[in-house]
Amino acid sequence: MGFQVASSWENLLFCFLGTLLGTLIGVLPGIGPTTGVAILIPITFGMNATTAIITMAGVYYGAMYGGSTTSILLNVPGESSSVMTTLDGYQMAKKGRAGPALGMAALSSFIAGTFAVLMLTLIAPALADYAVSFGPPEYFALTFMGLTMVTSLGGDSPLKGIISGILGLAVACIGIDAISGEARFTFDSIHLLDGVGFIGVAVGLFAVSEVLVNMEAPMKRVFTETKLSIRSLFPNLQDWKDSLGALWRGSAIGFFVGVLPGAGATIASFMAYAAERKCSRRPEKFGTGLIEGVAAPEGANNSAAGGAMVPLLTLGIPGSGTTAVLMGALIIHGLRPGPLLFSAHPDFVWGLIASMYIGNVMLIIQNMPMIGLWVRLLKVPYKILMPLIIMISAVGVFATDNNIFDVWIMFFFGLIGYLMQKMHYPPAPLVLALVLGPMVERSLRQSLTLSHGSLDIFFTRPISATLTAIALLSLFAPLFRILWNRYRKGKAAPAQ
Amino acid sequence: MKKADIITGIVLLALAGYLMQEALGMPPSRTFGPGSGFLPFWLGIILAALSLILIATASLRRKAGPDGPVFPGKEGLLTVVKVLGGLALFTLLMETLGFVVNTFIFVAYLMGVVQREGWRSVFLTALLTTACLYIVFHVLLGIALPRNMFGF
Repeated sequence: MGFQVASSWENLLFCFLGTLLGTLIGVLPGIGPTTGVAILIPITFGMNATTAIITMAGVYYGAMYGGSTTSILLNVPGESSSVMTTLDGYQMAKKGRAGPALGMAALSSFIAGTFAVLMLTLIAPALADYAVSFGPPEYFALTFMGLTMVTSLGGDSPLKGIISGILGLAVACIGIDAISGEARFTFDSIHLLDGVGFIGVAVGLFAVSEVLVNMEAPMKRVFTETKLSIRSLFPNLQDWKDSLGALWRGSAIGFFVGVLPGAGATIASFMAYAAERKCSRRPEKFGTGLIEGVAAPEGANNSAAGGAMVPLLTLGIPGSGTTAVLMGALIIHGLRPGPLLFSAHPDFVWGLIASMYIGNVMLIIQNMPMIGLWVRLLKVPYKILMPLIIMISAVGVFATDNNIFDVWIMFFFGLIGYLMQKMHYPPAPLVLALVLGPMVERSLRQSLTLSHGSLDIFFTRPISATLTAIALLSLFAPLFRILWNRYRKGKAAPAQ
Repeated sequence: MKKADIITGIVLLALAGYLMQEALGMPPSRTFGPGSGFLPFWLGIILAALSLILIATASLRRKAGPDGPVFPGKEGLLTVVKVLGGLALFTLLMETLGFVVNTFIFVAYLMGVVQREGWRSVFLTALLTTACLYIVFHVLLGIALPRNMFGF
């Protein structure tokens, strides 16, 4: 029934337009899915509810995919869920494998998105209970685990990874404290009252610093010759073999993280990346251009987008900023999301779910042929690309809030990012700690308030205890490994 | 790398001290739970501990490390400074010069002064970049871009 509804010509057309528009919006740094969906709300007033929501869902998915395009090609993360894709995706592009990277991003997004929609169709009502069982201690344990997993992406030095994460948390403290209303580290600047904008930090830390590093040796070629033959534009058999596990894990992790209200595509993407690295036989190669480093986060962020629909449709609780905007749109059109939505407006709900399938298919159809075009972009000489990257970054960052202060943030973090690259500090933990920081702090303080200051609360509740244990294990694992190796060397020596 | 690590360690230690100092100045934790100084204070402590470990491990390392000098030579560094300086000026002058003029000048600067390209490619790139950005952001997306006092 859902497919019947979704397949009307009008709905198909608008879904197509939605995904197209979404991809273009996602490609521009700074303007993410939330803004894209919000811009569209007035335009959809004239449509009927189903068509409107289908369009907006298309934009949402399209923007997810668009963000990964610039991440891979230019090391410019379009929004927070694409940050992890830069780590291996950009490295692949530098080695001439931009086509397979883009292809795998599209395909894993499609596969994971389809998986999420399947799960949504089959077990949405059952998931409602799971979503509600997460209280502040569980959220703290989850985000703490996310942080420890991310700091393990420190490359050579876990110590520097942790320092990077701590710096990110410190930056997250800037602004008005949500719980007490106290202004922290704002240096009497009105601009800092709302905190440091994520997009300025991410674009500065990744894109601008990368340009600066490349500028040191202007004669050196940045992108290895990218081949344009059809075969080299798409992932080959070996790529598929490497990515299969990543796809499964990424989809599952993404979906279950996405279901949790408040945890969305961003957290899902780097949990999937970190988990993939831990499960891999060649963890040290992550960050140099492994295809599974693209498949895992890309799959996870699309799967999370599907998962985020679960609390929206079953409980009426929006799981993320974008779903909140979607919920607003639903209400404007006279539909009240919640447990009754399935029974009161079944044609709408199933139409929406079916349109998510169709949206995924449309993305693939639209984007696979475009890969050749995108890859051609890399053939432009870097001396022309360089000003382009800086300008797109600066204007994109400015466009988020029409505030020139954001560009100053980008400048400042571009400098910091350059220094960090020189000193071998990984940028990813900083930016991800910045995203997670508010949630970490809020859930920590809420939990401690609940428990009257006792840390027991994290260990007495089952879900929280499990997650905290995993977090602590992954934090101290490198230390244990070093000590264990020394112990073994000590045993071997006397035997000689 | 060894010297660089020690210097960064000291800088981070100073930062940790600043965090703790600021945190102690905030209202104390009350019965309602941890106050606003809670997290910054503990971040300061962790950061201080980590910086000390960093300085210690760097000092104990025997040689300077096989990866060579941290920063590029004079010419490379100068280029980086030029780009950063240009970006700073660009951001500063945005409101005064307006988007169109500012972008054109900045791209021309990057192409001409920093990269020393011929005036033809300088002009063309600056023109095309400004035009494309203007069309995409202002015309297509409807975002208001800064204008100077002459209105463009």
